[in-house]
Amino acid sequence: MDNQTKNPAGLIACLALYEIGSTTLFLLAAEAKQDAWIAMTIASLVGFFLLSVYLAMHRLDPERDLFALCRAYLGKWIGTAIGWSFVGYFAYESSRNLRDLVELTSQILLNDTPLFVIALITIVVVANTARYGARVLFLCSLVLFPFVVVGYLLLVVMLAGQHLIHAVSLLPVLENGWQPIFKAAFPSLVSFPFGQTILFLVFFPLVRSRAPGFTRSVYLTYGGVSIFLIAMNELILFVLGQSIAEKVTFPLLESVQLIEFSQVFERMDILFVFVLYLGLGVKLAAFYIGAATGFSQLTGIGYRKGVFVLGAAIFGISFLSPNYTHHIWMGKVVTSWFTIFQIALPLLLFMVMKIDGGKKSSGRG
Amino acid sequence: MNVSERPAEPAIVERLRHRFGGSSDFIVRLIQEGPKDRCQYAVCYIDGLVDKNLLAFLLEAVVAEAREGAGMTQDLARSLTSRIPVGSLTAPESEEALVHAILNGEAVIVGNELTFELSVAIPGGPSRAVEEPSSQTVVRGPKDGFTENLADNVSLVRRRLRTPDLRIENRVLGRYTRTKIAVFYIEGIVQPVILEELGRRLDAIDIDGILESGYIEEFIQDTSWTPFPTIQNTERPDTVAGHLLEGHAAILVDGTPFALILPVTFFKFFLSSEDYYQRHDIASFVRMIRFIAFFVSLLLPSLYIAVTTFQQEMIPTTMLISLAAQREGVPLPALLEALLMELTFEVIREAGIRMPRVIGPAISIVGALVLGQAAVQAGLVSGAMVIIVSFTAIASFVIPALGMSAAIRLMRFLLMVLAGSFGLFGVLAGMIPLLLHLVALRSFGVPYLLPIAPLKWMNFKDLFYRLPWRTLTERPAVIGSRNPRRQPRRGPKREGTRK
Repeated sequence: MDNQTKNPAGLIACLALYEIGSTTLFLLAAEAKQDAWIAMTIASLVGFFLLSVYLAMHRLDPERDLFALCRAYLGKWIGTAIGWSFVGYFAYESSRNLRDLVELTSQILLNDTPLFVIALITIVVVANTARYGARVLFLCSLVLFPFVVVGYLLLVVMLAGQHLIHAVSLLPVLENGWQPIFKAAFPSLVSFPFGQTILFLVFFPLVRSRAPGFTRSVYLTYGGVSIFLIAMNELILFVLGQSIAEKVTFPLLESVQLIEFSQVFERMDILFVFVLYLGLGVKLAAFYIGAATGFSQLTGIGYRKGVFVLGAAIFGISFLSPNYTHHIWMGKVVTSWFTIFQIALPLLLFMVMKIDGGKKSSGRG
Repeated sequence: MNVSERPAEPAIVERLRHRFGGSSDFIVRLIQEGPKDRCQYAVCYIDGLVDKNLLAFLLEAVVAEAREGAGMTQDLARSLTSRIPVGSLTAPESEEALVHAILNGEAVIVGNELTFELSVAIPGGPSRAVEEPSSQTVVRGPKDGFTENLADNVSLVRRRLRTPDLRIENRVLGRYTRTKIAVFYIEGIVQPVILEELGRRLDAIDIDGILESGYIEEFIQDTSWTPFPTIQNTERPDTVAGHLLEGHAAILVDGTPFALILPVTFFKFFLSSEDYYQRHDIASFVRMIRFIAFFVSLLLPSLYIAVTTFQQEMIPTTMLISLAAQREGVPLPALLEALLMELTFEVIREAGIRMPRVIGPAISIVGALVLGQAAVQAGLVSGAMVIIVSFTAIASFVIPALGMSAAIRLMRFLLMVLAGSFGLFGVLAGMIPLLLHLVALRSFGVPYLLPIAPLKWMNFKDLFYRLPWRTLTERPAVIGSRNPRRQPRRGPKREGTRK
């Protein structure tokens, strides 16, 4: 009965929550102004291409995860080094999510609680999640997914029901030409959130990925979530307008706050924080598990111990920025570096795998 | 009764007497009849474990046999079988087997000229009549419940499943209690993996006594480190039969009316057998109520604490004013207030179960009036908190399975403390590990949160709602998937519905 947990449905749900993740927290492609949706569409198409590369890599050698692939095809030394860089990348992404979550909590829910207390609680909860491993995270995502869907649906219905959506701010199209659009799309939009699916190269081997329709459902999920993200980004712009949306810390929550429902449901943003938490938490845990998997593979230390070590590391890294503004600025700086992990290294690995022609693949078919 | 002048009892009787150490309920009935007292038989049994009427028949038969003086063992066996209308006849091979036969409510016939001992099963003794189950009542549905007598319980299940595929495997557990337990399953539906695993786990039990099925439950459950029950218990034979039909196995234990059902998933604890007897729409509605009650029972006090302590801005202004007015003069913070009230309720509840029945009304007066109304009037707790705690308490009784509502009660206290310390964030920080625990939990290898995680769409037909029986053409997946077809699938049009 153990094969029940190898069902790909959980991974699909996890992928959806992961891609939603912290994305809706921010206003994306603000530089492109009313053409943000074009920038996001282009970025998501690039992300789609990257995802197809990752899937192709997985199909070439379905038994190995990202770290094993690196070591098998790039040689022991280079592979291990690149594996370590991926561990670092995943851990850093995880710590960024942790900081996002902590800042969100501190600003909306617990104004007086010190940041490190919130971070400590969060990292304990997430480390406990990571301790169970990726499969349990997938199953957990299955349970959480409906809550997220219902949350966003209610949000849209309520915003629409209160006539808060003003779909006029789309025009004029291409007012400033294509340049700001491409500037917004590359590299920041590609690397966050669309290119982050690289993490799933660690997870694909855990499920029955050769089940019929697996690839299609991954693509469909990615496409659906991309459309959803573009729509949510536009929704923020429609509700708040360009100038306000650019300036507030959490534009989506700001728009939720406008909802007032028969004087009974006020401050819906507090409830909506929980929907955001689910996405953030899944993403945080997924990166954490990815990093811990790599850590235990590369060092030979047991997975549970790796979870402990990485928990301490992620907790520490999340305090690199002295304040939230610095954290956001850092995010903009590092995204261009992330293209190394999302585009350069995977493409290199993919080419080596192609040249190798599956010689080193283990027991395929 | 005893003929003392002759020391001619069979040797084995002396050994048995010694073995039982002269216990007063070990009875040896010597029968000496016929010419020159040639035939000497002894009937040994334990008073209280045998049926008095059958024993009379047996003794009569043995006496007659002795009087006729046939003396041939084969004839004795034959005439006894013909004379005794019920009871199976066996010949225990060792002295140990003989002792166990006597302890199982058999009467053992030994004789000087018998080359082997005969054992006649005439079990009896005091037992309760079949009554309505006290822990799981239904409005519509069968009203018979299990008793403490395993034989009666077996017949209650067998009467509902008249198929040769219903298999009952007996075992004896407990070095001193030698408790009989019976494993039930339907061959062809149950998964062999589950039976193997169950057999392995039962084999591993080695304890001096089994007094209730709870002992076995603790020994065979997947993990002891969870508040959630991974094995269901029931007093209802129809519940057992229904589960057997879905591919579960059941364990009945002699001496208790509570049968065990396994493997079992989380959502099973929110189902009642009545759901299947009522109309599907009513049953579905009641089920939804139960799931809502689950969340209320788990979360309501902690949400109240979190919102009133940390997120007051969520409360509508008018309500906030009235709440603030109520809390005026309440000396305790909301968390302590709630913990105090919840603990008080738990005490009243426990008292209600343990106290002698005649004192019942006194407790309700003290509980309702003194602790409820007077506490509010005295300004010790706020009225809103009393409402919250009472509604939570009532909601926890909506869940049909006691084991599940007990688990929820435990979790409720944890969540309250978290809510009091970190508000809604604390509630979420408590709920996520809880969810992960449930997701990772297994019952005999079956994921506990099936069919949500992992996803099995088919099982949704009978989960949060129940579709009409006509559409439930398949057994639930995973546990019942060995033999999925429950009824033939019908076409979209039904015959005979239109004239």
